[in-house]
Amino acid sequence: MSAAHDIPRRRPLLRAALPAAGLLPLVLWQIVFFVVPVALIFGVSVWRTQSYRLIPAFTFDNYIAIFARPAIWRALLLSVETAAFVTVACAVLAFPVAYFIAKKAGRWRGLLLVAVIAPFWISIVMRVAAWRLLLGERGVINQVAMTLGLTDAPMSFLLYSPVSTAIGLIYAYLPLYVLPLYAAISNIHDNWIEAALDLNASPARTFFEVILPLSAPGLVVGAVFCFVFGLGEFVTPALLGGGKQLMFSQVIQDEFQRRLDWPSGAAMAVVLLVLVFAALALSMKWIRRASGETGL
Amino acid sequence: MNRLSFGWTLPAYSVLLYAFLYLPIVVIVLFAFDAKAIPGLPIDAFTTDWFSASLGDTRLVGSLLTSIRLALMAAVLSTALAMPAAMVLAWRPVRMKSLVLCLVLGPVVLPQLVLGLGLVVLFRAAPDLIGAPAIVLAHTTMTSSYATLMLYSRFLGFRRSYIEAAMNLGADEFTTFREVVLPLVAPSLIAVLLLAFTDAFGEFVVAWFLAGFTETLPIAIWTSLRQVISPKIYALSALVILVTLFVSVSAQVWILGQSRRECES
Repeated sequence: MSAAHDIPRRRPLLRAALPAAGLLPLVLWQIVFFVVPVALIFGVSVWRTQSYRLIPAFTFDNYIAIFARPAIWRALLLSVETAAFVTVACAVLAFPVAYFIAKKAGRWRGLLLVAVIAPFWISIVMRVAAWRLLLGERGVINQVAMTLGLTDAPMSFLLYSPVSTAIGLIYAYLPLYVLPLYAAISNIHDNWIEAALDLNASPARTFFEVILPLSAPGLVVGAVFCFVFGLGEFVTPALLGGGKQLMFSQVIQDEFQRRLDWPSGAAMAVVLLVLVFAALALSMKWIRRASGETGL
Repeated sequence: MNRLSFGWTLPAYSVLLYAFLYLPIVVIVLFAFDAKAIPGLPIDAFTTDWFSASLGDTRLVGSLLTSIRLALMAAVLSTALAMPAAMVLAWRPVRMKSLVLCLVLGPVVLPQLVLGLGLVVLFRAAPDLIGAPAIVLAHTTMTSSYATLMLYSRFLGFRRSYIEAAMNLGADEFTTFREVVLPLVAPSLIAVLLLAFTDAFGEFVVAWFLAGFTETLPIAIWTSLRQVISPKIYALSALVILVTLFVSVSAQVWILGQSRRECES
């Protein structure tokens, strides 16, 4: 801000126009390709279809129909449960690694952090393909378990079940959870941990009364992203979950693309969005704190 | 470092977790060399035939080239949109900044499924764009969020005294940008381009909805996953995965080195 005022004022028109010109293309782009599509989903959700044709109307029938179909309820419940389970599992699995990288890895911390995130950049379809090789009835895990004599028959529940979906989702979102946890734990001064230990707190007490509360911003932010992404994820349940117990995202896709009932699918998408917004709104305070806006 | 070390359990656990993260990658690379037509343990014979077979498969290679072409366009477009916006957001007072940030970062938290379906409805108004153009437009929307976020933090850390110096010496805005700003942020720009490319290259859901008859590599793999998979897919995936890892790791190490130098200076 000071830079803008200290420099001698030449060509005031240009100076005033530049910021707007810099921001405008991106803002317009996001309005057309992000805001409008979302608005369209809301709009279509109150329309009707008649013999596969969209009819502009204003009706809440689509929403009422969602709550009347138990299959959709079950899918929604399964999605929420799975996302919640995946979130908790990711938190528990990610915490020790985030602590290790932040506090114990020394000069390797940068490289270790990059190594955690690297698999996240690989196309989701390829990652899921790899998990099919691992989890299948003749997959790597079953073969190894049988060779070691852990089981006699292949474990068939590993693939095409909510278990495999959960494994795939944990794998996909673990890196996302390590990042905010790492940031939060790095901000904990070693002095505070030392002080607790000097005052004769046990390691467990130090963990529960100093480290854990101070990593809360990272825990919450990671949880929100994990939950939100897990709730809407489509590829993993579609390829690992089998077709018996559908997740909400699969039902939405099916409604849109196979049954071609856009209004009904759009109404379900709105329900999904409401859940996502609720999760974000509940944690907004923590997201602000983690991004350093208000400090601690 | 502090005294609370948890002994050997922490390093040992970390090793296990890294093994979990890299296990699928190792498996896919390993099975790319499996001589059997249906990959599985134990691997008796190794072969490199699947690699030549996959590179000889015109449909697979065609989808790979399509993906590269479309991701390249999305990466360049999103970086071009993100850079000026990130500069303004980082350096100038912006009215309703939080609203603008919400607009820019929204696609990150929006479920891809919902964005994809919304775009399907939108492109009903322009059915000619379905296929490659729609995929590029959609991927640009998604990657420009990440690109803006990364460049925003880069520009926040930028020493603006350099700009003041240049402008006090009589350089105008464009000269200052070309001679001072651009060279200094060039490494970040390249890193952002690489990450945006990687992201767009691997994206599946939205591309699948908008593809029409266009086939990107993730779509080709998706289609083959619904049938019996040829080991050719694993061979090509192994190649792509290794390149992806190399590109994303080098881009991130680059960003890391940048921010470290910034801190030291």
